[in-house]
Amino acid sequence: MRAAAYPAFALTAFQSRLVYRNQVWASAFGDLVSIFARIAIWTAAFAGATQVDGITLPEMVTYSVLAWPLLYWDFSRVLYDVGGAVQTGDVAVFLLKPIHYPSYLLSTHFGHFAFECVTIVVPVALIVGFTVGLLPPASLFHGLMFFAYWAVSWLTLFALACLCGLLAFWLLTAFSLEWFLMAIMSLFSGAVVPLWFLPAPLAALFGYLPFAWVSYYPSAVYLGKLDPAATWLHLGIGLVWLGLLSAATLALWAKARTRLVVQGG
Amino acid sequence: MSRSLAVVPHLVRIYIRTRMEYRGAMLLAWFAQALSYAATYTAIALLLLRFGNLGGWAWSEMALLLSFHLLAYSLGASLSFTQFRDIEEKVRMGTFDAVLIKPVSPWIYLVFSGLNIGYAGHIILAVGLMAWAVTQVAVDWSALTALYFLLSLVSAAMVTAAIMTMIGATALVWVRSKHLFSIFFGFWELARYPLNIFPVPLQILMLTVAPLGFLAFVPVAVTLGKPVPLLGDWALFASLAAGPLAVTLGALHWRHCIRNYQGAGG
Repeated sequence: MRAAAYPAFALTAFQSRLVYRNQVWASAFGDLVSIFARIAIWTAAFAGATQVDGITLPEMVTYSVLAWPLLYWDFSRVLYDVGGAVQTGDVAVFLLKPIHYPSYLLSTHFGHFAFECVTIVVPVALIVGFTVGLLPPASLFHGLMFFAYWAVSWLTLFALACLCGLLAFWLLTAFSLEWFLMAIMSLFSGAVVPLWFLPAPLAALFGYLPFAWVSYYPSAVYLGKLDPAATWLHLGIGLVWLGLLSAATLALWAKARTRLVVQGG
Repeated sequence: MSRSLAVVPHLVRIYIRTRMEYRGAMLLAWFAQALSYAATYTAIALLLLRFGNLGGWAWSEMALLLSFHLLAYSLGASLSFTQFRDIEEKVRMGTFDAVLIKPVSPWIYLVFSGLNIGYAGHIILAVGLMAWAVTQVAVDWSALTALYFLLSLVSAAMVTAAIMTMIGATALVWVRSKHLFSIFFGFWELARYPLNIFPVPLQILMLTVAPLGFLAFVPVAVTLGKPVPLLGDWALFASLAAGPLAVTLGALHWRHCIRNYQGAGG
């Protein structure tokens, strides 16, 4: 199938979400409540201090908005799509079509992400920006590099979700896999607590694992916590991780489709 | 009513048998869910390790709050979450009509034919963390304190089950209500932190319209002898009354929705 067909999958996914408007309002409200809660938690943690470990409260407010709803998007849909397709046997339909299933998933879920970004994340960020205040990027360089890190972050989380989802070919359930990935991400990605507040040995260890490229490094770059040399170096390491995860996903897909047995007619 | 209750053990037995057919998947799910909560609690513990306390709550007190939150939620949600989350699908497909013509109360049938033993992982983690936390906090435990703690736990579980029932019942009128769970879980996440760190409007919401402040904060603060915003000395009574009150409102809402159910399936 021509590569031009894949953007159409993304567009279809985007448009399909327009049907469920109540879900948008509910999700936006839920996210808004959670963001204000996170801001309250950091305000309470700082307890009036101007800065802690060189980090100010406005920086943590900005970090909260970037690290969680923007960068740590809801990956469970990827797992349930793959898990559901394996359980129902629908995955066989994708094998019959002239499409590459992981690429189809990539384009579809990019459509879902774009929808959530436009309808939920951006309005929530604007409300937080006008009420509490958000910081601009530390510099033009850091602002531009943030977009490169954002791309690496999105693709890394997608590859991790896809890898876990494909394991459903062996386990026949995606439910546990989602919870395993949530456990890993909540501790290692920096979405809940940034690495700069962790004990040094843990921060050093987590800083080399690919999960930190999902939330921590993009947010740290935006806030200017990495100098230009470190920014380029960590982008390179992130790309290596992304390459490894993508290769693992493709290898797992190649293995999974050869062991597929669909029961029923 | 007695006929409805007599069928409960049979419904539960059948459901547990079906779940036990996939024992490996079930045990893996228990482990994965407990691990996920443990990871989040570890992140909170690391935050407290760096900052010392959160709104005046030290780690041992936070551990009691987190374990109470998880245990009360699990007990209430095992009776309600998946059952009432899936009700919208039953309404949409028209299969809810089959529930209505059964010779048992629809609520009892729905709740006990899907009694979720999947929360065992949550409960094991919560009880373990609570057992550690009660030995660490500065509470002079007496029979009366322990009784209050247990009763407030039951009341908190009732709040969870009542809210889930109300959200699920709404699907009988609106056809869709799953999105309301997003709002529930937004407030549910807040309920695991001390209420005093949030702005006053949010505190009011958490004690009235979205009464998840009673899920953990109010009973644990009363047990620890900490001040409860807005409620003050009424907190003890309010935490015990919240469950029965929520259940009464939930029952009224359920009946209203059942009376106004017209079906959406073909």
